[in-house]
Amino acid sequence: MTRRQVIANAVVAVILVAAFAVFCTLVLNSLGRPVDWSKAWAYRESLWRGWTVTLGISLAALLGSIVFGLAFLLGQRSRLPVVRWTCRGFLEFVRDTPLLVHLLFGYFVIFAPLLSRPLAGIGWDDKVLIGIVLLSMFAGAYLGEILRGGVDSIPATQWDAARAVGFSPFQVYRYVIFPQALRRVLPAIAGLFVSLIKDSSLLNVIGVSEYFYNTKNFISRSYAGLEGYLPLTLGYLILTLPVAWLAHWLERRFRDET
Amino acid sequence: MKLDLRDVTKVFGTTRALDELSLQIPEARVLVLIGPSGGGKSTLLRVLGGLEVPDQGSVTLNEHRLNADPESLQAYRRRNGFVFQQFNLFPHLNARRNITLPLEKVHGHSPEAARALADQSLTRFGLLDHATKLPSQLSGGQQQRVGIARAIAFSPEVLFLDEPTSALDPEMTAEVLELIQELAEAGQDIILSTHEMGFARAVADQVAFVASGQIAESNPPQALFNAPVSPVCQRFLSRVMRY
Ligand SMILES: Nc1ncnc2c1ncn2[C@@H]1O[C@H](COP(=O)(O)OP(=O)(O)O)[C@@H](O)[C@H]1O
Ligand SMILES: [Mg+2]
Repeated sequence: MTRRQVIANAVVAVILVAAFAVFCTLVLNSLGRPVDWSKAWAYRESLWRGWTVTLGISLAALLGSIVFGLAFLLGQRSRLPVVRWTCRGFLEFVRDTPLLVHLLFGYFVIFAPLLSRPLAGIGWDDKVLIGIVLLSMFAGAYLGEILRGGVDSIPATQWDAARAVGFSPFQVYRYVIFPQALRRVLPAIAGLFVSLIKDSSLLNVIGVSEYFYNTKNFISRSYAGLEGYLPLTLGYLILTLPVAWLAHWLERRFRDET
Repeated sequence: MKLDLRDVTKVFGTTRALDELSLQIPEARVLVLIGPSGGGKSTLLRVLGGLEVPDQGSVTLNEHRLNADPESLQAYRRRNGFVFQQFNLFPHLNARRNITLPLEKVHGHSPEAARALADQSLTRFGLLDHATKLPSQLSGGQQQRVGIARAIAFSPEVLFLDEPTSALDPEMTAEVLELIQELAEAGQDIILSTHEMGFARAVADQVAFVASGQIAESNPPQALFNAPVSPVCQRFLSRVMRY
């Protein structure tokens, strides 16, 4: 940076900090009543439990979406046209309808009537399980599309070279195509996983007591405001930022490599 | 090596890349394919290398009669080496790993044994100092030498090379051609296509002229270069030899 840019940068920084401070003061003054953190403290157990459920759902749906994503990828590359077209049709449907609709429709109309009793019979929480499956399927549809794009972007010459050294079809994917394709689609996958963590909050509509659901309960019962929303925001940031950072780090590492 | 091709046909859309091509060679160490661009050399090499299945005809290389079964084709590819015009190294792996990975995963060598074999061929080709570089950090000539090292590391029955120097400048071309000649002199069975006529004459013990998806002529180099019989081959040679 030139000297003038350094000065300009400092001036703009001061202005931004001041503007933010004014904004916060205005908001806090208009709250009308003092911020009372003891309310949040009283609900700490429920909030903590909700956060761990969100963490668990996110991890499970992340794994689940990888399984679905790989299945959709292979389905789209199948030699049988009927498998390819079924796959494409299903993906198009999933990606062009809201997740909220999948959750309500999928839970109340399709899965709950089929599975609630047997699952309750073995002592499982049907809402959590079905919610995870529906979320995995939604993210898996996007992942399948991202992976297909990545695999398609690898030139035919790499397939030739991999086959020429004698790799089996599985080894061609495992050692040659996937490592290269993943490098190219990593930013997109990280974005998808961040979305997945955030979207897990929608599971509240089928009554899963995850972080958003429990915070909402706490806010409506104790008339909390800032005391509820601030921890809510931070709770999600704690989950999403590491994913975003990991992605940036990997991206930089792969970029340096090539 | 012994080669027997009968009525081999390969069609891409409306192009007959190979058009009932037949060729019998009872015994040769180095077979060189020459001919005009688009004549079918690459397609023929890909068929011989088990990368492409012909629509018709039979292909027998030594004792192996090629068929369309994916498993037996894979087994066939495992025995032979293939080198491409554009090198086709794995760009995410360094030079040494490009060689050791197939040795470990395809040929079942231990990591130590694979490394020893790889370093042996890297040393032989003067590439040991570049072992940990990625393909993008190597010159074209170095990349192609790694490509050859990868293809011969497991002592292939036959080594196929498709215009191995066409993407290289003259100096790099020379270094790669020297290396191929060394391999030939060491007894490696080779089938290659090239536009380097001087090299073809020096290294081949059989030259086949491929045009319009067929073998127009197949002879030892002295005969083919000094006294071509087919009109297409005469025309081709008089044109490429003019400069
Ligand atoms: N994968 C392919 N798809 C369509 N056409 C092809 C393909 N491979 C080769 N061809 C066509 O087949 C003919 C022979 O090509 P090729 O074997 O590459 O010849 P050469 O190597 O002698 O230049 C050309 O007309 C080429 O365009
Ligand atoms: Mg060619």
